[in-house]
Amino acid sequence: MKTMTAKIPKNKLEKRNKRKLVWKRIKKYKILYLFLLPAITFYFVFGYIPMYGVTLAFKDFRFDTGILMSPWVGLKYVKKFFDYFQFELLIRNSFVISFLKLIIGFPAPIILALMLNEVRINKFKRVIQTVTYLPYFVSWVVVATIFSKFLSPHQGLFNDLRMAMGEEPIFFLGFAKWFYIVIISSDIWKNIGFNSIIYLAALSSIDPMLYEASAIDGAGKWKRLIHITLPAIMPTVGILFILSMSGLLKAGYEQIILFQQPPTIPVSEVLETYSVKVGLQQGQYSYATVVGLFQSIVSLILIVVTNKIAKKVSNTSLW
Amino acid sequence: MVEKPSTGEKVFKIINYTLLSLLGFITFYPFFYILILSLNDGYDALKGGLYFWPRVFTFDNYIKAFEDPLILNAFGVTIFRTVVGTFLCVFLTALAGYALSRKDLPGRGIITFFFFFTTIFTGGLIPFFILLRSLRLTSSIWIYILPYLYQFFNIIIMRTYFQTIPNELRESATIDGCGELKIFLKIYLPLSLPMIATITLFYGVGHWNDWFVGAFFVSDKKLKPAATILQKILSETNFEQATDTNRMNYNINRAKTTPEALRMAFLMIITLPIVCIYPFLQKYFVKGVMIGSIKG
Repeated sequence: MKTMTAKIPKNKLEKRNKRKLVWKRIKKYKILYLFLLPAITFYFVFGYIPMYGVTLAFKDFRFDTGILMSPWVGLKYVKKFFDYFQFELLIRNSFVISFLKLIIGFPAPIILALMLNEVRINKFKRVIQTVTYLPYFVSWVVVATIFSKFLSPHQGLFNDLRMAMGEEPIFFLGFAKWFYIVIISSDIWKNIGFNSIIYLAALSSIDPMLYEASAIDGAGKWKRLIHITLPAIMPTVGILFILSMSGLLKAGYEQIILFQQPPTIPVSEVLETYSVKVGLQQGQYSYATVVGLFQSIVSLILIVVTNKIAKKVSNTSLW
Repeated sequence: MVEKPSTGEKVFKIINYTLLSLLGFITFYPFFYILILSLNDGYDALKGGLYFWPRVFTFDNYIKAFEDPLILNAFGVTIFRTVVGTFLCVFLTALAGYALSRKDLPGRGIITFFFFFTTIFTGGLIPFFILLRSLRLTSSIWIYILPYLYQFFNIIIMRTYFQTIPNELRESATIDGCGELKIFLKIYLPLSLPMIATITLFYGVGHWNDWFVGAFFVSDKKLKPAATILQKILSETNFEQATDTNRMNYNINRAKTTPEALRMAFLMIITLPIVCIYPFLQKYFVKGVMIGSIKG
């Protein structure tokens, strides 16, 4: 006991000194904290306050009382969402669209980067790069218009070609079976070039000595690809794959809203578009919050799990 | 390295170049096609068969597009948010990136995580919208700027770039009596122009292209940006409904242009600034994305 009582004041003194030291350090950096103040305020207000707003999923939202004072209703809206007769359809569409984007859209820029990497004529390479980056910078509104113009049954280029070959025109955007093809191809068209930049960067950092040495050993193009190129870009592929996995339930609502037509709704309605519709267009705020919350939670689980797996398998991780 | 190309390699080369050229064409042609349609007489275009060159060349579609006050106002909104918004975004992002680039800053990791976490978990669209409403932003032009001031990815790009600038520069400036703000403005900013150009492009394009905020968060017609109006015009089967009915009809009759031709002109007007600016910034953003991809 005696030793304890003797220790406490000493501890306190140390703590006080430590606190003083910390304060001193913080004071020394006060200008830098001032630089960060707008960002901290921003993330607090526009990032964290809406997180508190998810309590709305368990409340009956009333504009006059605000989120805080709106009455609790428990799982009423969660139940309503799970009981919604198209609940499974929404989940299925969300997964199918984002899964297709992942398995087709994810490798596409890697392949483009590998192809560009083989080009020895610099001017040609630069022109192709400049052109393929362009669609990334125009809005989905423009891309959707261009696509519907080309796919239109009336004077659309594709149907002109079909008719020239003596076939009937097709209303591509109006049929469910064409919808996914249009969504995936427009996604690739818009993003392939820009997404290839990171892989090109990874490719350019490979030591050319490795290729020379392997050529001397008699390795062909294919072998060099498998044993040198692919392993070298694997960490980059890993990180980007984790990032895409976290978006597995985010099918890209801008794009879908713009391409959606009444006849394709059964295959195109996803969690995000549904949440925009019931929330922003019909004003069912609490119900739409449930939809959004469901999506956020699944995304969070996906990113944490993928990150863990990636860490174990390949030693790459986001944090 | 002397290496005799085998037949296999030659075939590979031919296929590779052909496929890449094809991809280039598929990307480029649609923009060119819209350009032709926008420069052709509207009624003549109805006959079809326009693929590579305008048949009846005219600027009418562009002139008419700019005569509509609603469209002019929309461009005003877009230009305001793009200029003011981009400036604020870039300046504040650089400031935050500078502070976080200082490895000796206490709490640096915690603050970074505080920002990062909002990218993996969000409250969702509705709580965000209700927040905007209760801040009265939904009836103000600042709705386009304030809620979108920072992007985590851009802060990280800036931070990583600032970290490549040698510390000695800052130290000697401190000895000369410079404060942090002066060091930031006079040394770090000028030395990071390529990176500033990159995030200016990213934020600028984001502001210029955004249609969602205007379409779903704002109801006042005078606050709608060009991209939102464009989206409305394009999605409406009846063009006249999107703008003022009588005036549009009057314009169309007088100008010998069709709604479809006007749409194409509008599409081109909103696309051209980007097409003109981005190639000049290309080498910078390529570098920027590379830096962003390095885990810092």
